[in-house]
Amino acid sequence: MTKTIIRFDHATFGFPDVIALQDISLDIAEGEFIGVIGPNGSGKTTLCRAVLGLMQPLSGSLQIFDCACEALRCRHRARIGYLPQKGVLDKNFPITVLETVMMGRYGALGLFKRTSKRDRDIALEALSHVGMQEHRDHALGHLSGGQQQRVFIARALAQQPDVLLLDEPTTGIDITTQHSVLDLIRRLHRDLKLTILLITHDINMIRSSVDRLVLLKTRLYAAGPPEDVLRPDVLRQVYGKELVITERDLIIVEDYHHHH
Amino acid sequence: MSQFLEMLTYDFMQRSLLAAATVGAVCSVIGVFVVLRGLAFVGAGTAHAAFAGVALAYLVGLPPLLLAVVFGLATVWVTGVMEEQGRMKLDVSIGILYTATMALAILFIGLMKGYNAEVYGYLFGSVLSVTPDELRAILALSVIVLGLLLAFSKELYFIAFDQEMAEASGVPARKIFYLLLTLVALTVVVSLKTVGAILVFALILIPASTAYQLTHSLSHMTAYAVVIGVACAVGGVLLSYAWDLPSGPAIVLLATTIFFLSVLLSPKRRRAKTA
Repeated sequence: MTKTIIRFDHATFGFPDVIALQDISLDIAEGEFIGVIGPNGSGKTTLCRAVLGLMQPLSGSLQIFDCACEALRCRHRARIGYLPQKGVLDKNFPITVLETVMMGRYGALGLFKRTSKRDRDIALEALSHVGMQEHRDHALGHLSGGQQQRVFIARALAQQPDVLLLDEPTTGIDITTQHSVLDLIRRLHRDLKLTILLITHDINMIRSSVDRLVLLKTRLYAAGPPEDVLRPDVLRQVYGKELVITERDLIIVEDYHHHH
Repeated sequence: MSQFLEMLTYDFMQRSLLAAATVGAVCSVIGVFVVLRGLAFVGAGTAHAAFAGVALAYLVGLPPLLLAVVFGLATVWVTGVMEEQGRMKLDVSIGILYTATMALAILFIGLMKGYNAEVYGYLFGSVLSVTPDELRAILALSVIVLGLLLAFSKELYFIAFDQEMAEASGVPARKIFYLLLTLVALTVVVSLKTVGAILVFALILIPASTAYQLTHSLSHMTAYAVVIGVACAVGGVLLSYAWDLPSGPAIVLLATTIFFLSVLLSPKRRRAKTA
């Protein structure tokens, strides 16, 4: 039987006056590839912050790796590699690719410990997993958006995580690169046996890659294989007028970019 | 040449050069994190707050560096809380504290009977008059600041690059942010006597900003900043002695000249032009 490594049990997150996620019950098994979808403001990023330990449940519980402690800095969190939403990077920020990836070691190392040759080897291995080893001494700001995403994925891998949490990994990069980043994520899932939690607005992009989809709109609307979750009646409840289903069964969430 | 060597034999000159080199090193290292984390204005606000502490100390007869530390720390911590809670933009809160503490400093000076040259020494800096006791205090505080910067360097780099990511990776980012603010305040106090409250901010900002122009690597930036900071501080003192100039402005104007040269010669600028 596959082991559950993340368990939301009637968990509610947010602030007392603004609830971001309500009464979530969800089990994520080791090695699963989960896509988390939902309209803007549906609580996708809150789910991400909760798993990372940046938010505690207002009620209910969230258990990670058999650990239900409330400590935000629990050592189990270091087993979760995180790729945040692509922000605006100052292209002149003085940091090399290898220095960026080495930062993935810092949390696991703890305070007062210097990085060693072993940490450097782990960082270089992470870079080779994402095909960026030859760029290790390049300035991060000089890379393309897709290459930067690969470097940030390598930083998450340098933590040697069991779970990879990816928040909109394909947003803000061109369409060809989007596919290559998704191919990379699929390969990491397969080769490194990582549990993947991928948060996205792009249902078309990930529908064929994931084991299960989780559909959020403050509450958990549906969780299951893509064909069960992507039913017009379920989606209409969540997306309303923003949803268009074409003859080829492509699902397009309109006006996404207008909200950003 | 013999005049130069003779100058180095004077006790006061040896003290001044050692104080300047130490302050140059501490300011430039902390400056790297200040520049990268976007806390430039915090240095200026803290310097004025620390000066208010000095003025109060002279008014009530307490050790000036002690009250400078108290005022400096109070200012950076209040600023940090305000930023963290998102109640007010950082530049607004520090702007208010900056002017309020300067008003306090003027008030304290106004309450003193007569002119106190030592207080003005802290405002404008007078490295050539650093006493052995002051030098010992500068060295002791510098060892503490540099030791803490070294001990927490990897965490400080991480929060300078991406604080939320650092937090998510298991680094106690919030505590490290407050440590950085505390070290900024201590650095300002270390430097008050040497470059003065008005100009200390420049010594924190300029060597780090100059190094920023010259490299794409975090570790190189820190090394370049230290070399530039120490060279400008020592060079400024020598210029000050040779041409009978006030030491603080000599240090800062030398650093500013090197900054503009670095902007002109920056590989980043050349790249931007060819892009």
